[in-house]
Amino acid sequence: MSKDNSQDEKGMDQYTEDVLERGISRRSFLSRTALGAAGVGLLGLGSVTAKNAEAADSSKEFAKSSDGGATLNFMPKPKPIAAKDIKTTLTFDVIVVGAGASGVPAALSAAENGAKVAVIQKHPMPVSQGNTGSGIVLATSDKAGIEALVAKLMNDNNHRCNPALLRQWAYNSGEAVSWVIDRAKKGGSPVVDQGSAPQRGIRTVNGYTVNYVTSFFGPKPYTTGDGMRALAKTAEKAGVQFFFNMPAQQLVHGKAGEVIGVIAKGRDGKYTKFLARKGVILATGDYQNNEAMCNYFIPDLKHFGRKQMDRTGDGFALAYWAGGVIEPIGHTKMLHDFDAGPASMCDMPFLSVNRKGKRFVNETVDMSLYNNYLRDAENAGHYSQVFDSNYMTQAATWPGKLVPPEGLKNYMPDDPAPKHGVFDSLVNTHVADTLEELARKLECDPATFVASVKRYNELCASRKDDDFGKPADRLIPVEKAPFYGIHRRMRISTLCSGMLVNENHQALNADGKPIKGLFVIGNLGGGFYGGVDYPLTVFGLSLGRCYTFGYMAGRHVAKL
Amino acid sequence: MKNRPIKKFIFALSLVAFLSGIFAAGVSASSSKKGKDGELGTLHASMGITCAQCHENVKKPAAVPMLKCVGCHGPTEKLAAKTAHVKPRNPHENRHYGTEADCNLCHHQHKKSVNFCLPCHQRFDFVVP
Ligand SMILES: Cc1cc2nc3c(=O)[nH]c(=O)nc-3n(C[C@H](O)[C@H](O)[C@H](O)COP(=O)(O)OP(=O)(O)OC[C@H]3O[C@@H](n4cnc5c(N)ncnc54)[C@H](O)[C@@H]3O)c2cc1C
Ligand code: HEC
Ligand code: HEC
Ligand code: HEC
Ligand code: HEC
Repeated sequence: MSKDNSQDEKGMDQYTEDVLERGISRRSFLSRTALGAAGVGLLGLGSVTAKNAEAADSSKEFAKSSDGGATLNFMPKPKPIAAKDIKTTLTFDVIVVGAGASGVPAALSAAENGAKVAVIQKHPMPVSQGNTGSGIVLATSDKAGIEALVAKLMNDNNHRCNPALLRQWAYNSGEAVSWVIDRAKKGGSPVVDQGSAPQRGIRTVNGYTVNYVTSFFGPKPYTTGDGMRALAKTAEKAGVQFFFNMPAQQLVHGKAGEVIGVIAKGRDGKYTKFLARKGVILATGDYQNNEAMCNYFIPDLKHFGRKQMDRTGDGFALAYWAGGVIEPIGHTKMLHDFDAGPASMCDMPFLSVNRKGKRFVNETVDMSLYNNYLRDAENAGHYSQVFDSNYMTQAATWPGKLVPPEGLKNYMPDDPAPKHGVFDSLVNTHVADTLEELARKLECDPATFVASVKRYNELCASRKDDDFGKPADRLIPVEKAPFYGIHRRMRISTLCSGMLVNENHQALNADGKPIKGLFVIGNLGGGFYGGVDYPLTVFGLSLGRCYTFGYMAGRHVAKL
Repeated sequence: MKNRPIKKFIFALSLVAFLSGIFAAGVSASSSKKGKDGELGTLHASMGITCAQCHENVKKPAAVPMLKCVGCHGPTEKLAAKTAHVKPRNPHENRHYGTEADCNLCHHQHKKSVNFCLPCHQRFDFVVP
């Protein structure tokens, strides 16, 4: 694509222009209503004008859809907080809202660059999740490889992302992730760099070499949550002040509408006003626990369980009412289950059956996309992988890594031996001597399950998958007891679409102009994904991006 | 601020002794602590705890901040230590909130309490009073 095609006269990239046109912001609605009212006015239809004025009025209380037609009652306008209700006012250079995978790195990075920093956190401690976060080692990677990987990610994102932000991750993540590893270690974390080892499929891209730094906060039950708590210790030593149990309620604006601070609510119901000399960085994560918001932006999520809590999209409301623009409908979701059985077997194309016990998919589909087949209320993300005791030999050549029967016991809730390296409340692998018994353990309907296995075995015998077209070398029958099943439950790990930002991670308003004092990182930041599902091409892209943009935004705001 | 609820708690405790003395004959020992209909609000009321001890504005009762509960029931670490033995997991200490999960996520006063963990951890089947 030539530069001339992708840029308009304002010098704006295609992605930004598109989000400005179709995204959700205060102005897009107000300007359209104003136009509508003016048009009607010309025709002299007084009563309709009045109606429109009423609609315009309600936009003062609630957010509006991009066409102004729908009231988004999940984003009410913050009510003014009286000066008498503000217990304390504190002033810092930089205020970070949210102590997760992007907020804690941002705070430390800002402090290391000389700023006086406060972190306001909703939870009683820093909270995040996951294990793996990754970046690219520039020194040992081909530039062509990095560009090839960026192109691959754009493809994964259905070309709906801002390439500049992908490149920013690609060219800065090596430095940022290594920095997180170093600083978390200083806070006592056992984090390790796994290098390129976990990135099996992408060590060469289009024939070019790419090398990785892969931070691993683990093994489970240790996670990035523990890692961010360790990093917060380093941050405290660097002078960062944390305020826990203090959800941010609203932003404080200067005369010109610029953002100059945040008001947060303590457990005693009293408010504290945090003023920021340089800027406020929002890092409040996603909105999976805000049901109305999910139903609006990603209706597909209706029947899925959640993996996080208290992610009610607070940062979206804060940024929207400050004039920010939310990426248009069609947000990106991330659903998986790496815990029920071995993660290394999750993409192996064994027979899969839905919650009732019926085969439903060509199993070569990635686990991270299975959710699209299991959206209904009955399945609600549940399915089971099924195989027999020949799996170690019959699936030996498949991509992935088989765990032998002895190792599978670690994933079996019915096996009494103590578990290691897993969340023992979430393991869900089963073994049984008969198919009926296995069906019951997998919570399937035994008759349906047995019929599905019978049919599948016939297809395997014929070496042709007449039902779903799976390749013959992926057809292995389920015949020899004991039989195994992994009952996976796709739940929402995270949602990763957000607010429109520029390359400084500064929020843009509906005119595409940066909002002074307001920065957005982590999954609250937009422009990085855009596909139906989060891509699992780079293992740990999500956390890697959170660390990288936190590291960069913290430094940028500190230096303002 | 800190002292007031503790005094009330001591008062409440003496009431416990008093009330259990009265009711010992009528109520079987094992269930004496539970509210009649299983609702916590009934239990609190039977301990002589008034609406005002939880609701700042009794005329217009609103949601109760957990500080109120902690004020009587003591520091969350101590509470967590008390239930450390509960199987399959200590309901008062977990990786999501440490010991500081909001009491009202699970315990309700005027409706049935809920097990907040259960939808996500299907084997954490403890019963919430
Ligand atoms: C089980 C699980 C496993 C995962 N595994 C991986 C993995 O291995 N690799 C990977 O790359 N990604 C993984 N992810 C995704 C990854 O965890 C997220 O993408 C990442 O944590 C997002 O970081 P964040 O900073 O945007 O938000 P979070 O890390 O969620 O942090 C947001 C913080 O903001 C706080 N907050 C919210 N509202 C307010 C408010 N109003 N005021 C103050 N604070 C507020 C919250 O308390 C929270 O601590 C996993 C997710 C889950 C659930
Ligand atoms: C032990 C503390 C406690 C006591 C005592 C108590 N309440 Fe409540 N009340 C709560 C909590 C907590 C809630 C919030 C809902 C919940 O989690 O059960 C609530 C909610 C309410 C509500 C609904 C308000 C709303 O907006 O949700 C009303 C009405 C109410 N209480 C009335 C009363 C009255 C009347 C009494 C005295 C008879 C009383 N309460 C005693 C703790 C208490
Ligand atoms: C004024 C003091 C007071 C306040 C405030 C208070 N409690 Fe209690 N609570 C008591 C007393 C006294 C008992 C009975 C003795 C005991 O079991 O500790 C009790 C009992 C309980 C029990 C034990 C029930 C059982 O079956 O063992 C729970 C759970 C409980 N309270 C939760 C709460 C929650 C949640 C709140 C806040 C909404 C709260 N309490 C507020 C005094 C208080
Ligand atoms: C995750 C749900 C959950 C939360 C949140 C929770 N509790 Fe509990 N609580 C329980 C369960 C379950 C029990 C019963 C434990 C058992 O079986 O002995 C219990 C028991 C209690 C008891 C009786 C303890 C005893 O002496 O055996 C008290 C008092 C209590 N809770 C108070 C609180 C207070 C105060 C808070 C907030 C600081 C709180 N709880 C938060 C689930 C919860
Ligand atoms: C919204 C879903 C959700 C809820 C509600 C929830 N958890 Fe979790 N929990 C998770 C997920 C996902 C993990 C694994 C990843 C992580 O650490 O975030 C986990 C991990 C854990 C672990 C470590 C894993 C293990 O098996 O040892 C414990 C302990 C735990 N949770 C306890 C609790 C308790 C206690 C509650 C109730 C107060 C609770 N959780 C509520 C989703 C949830």
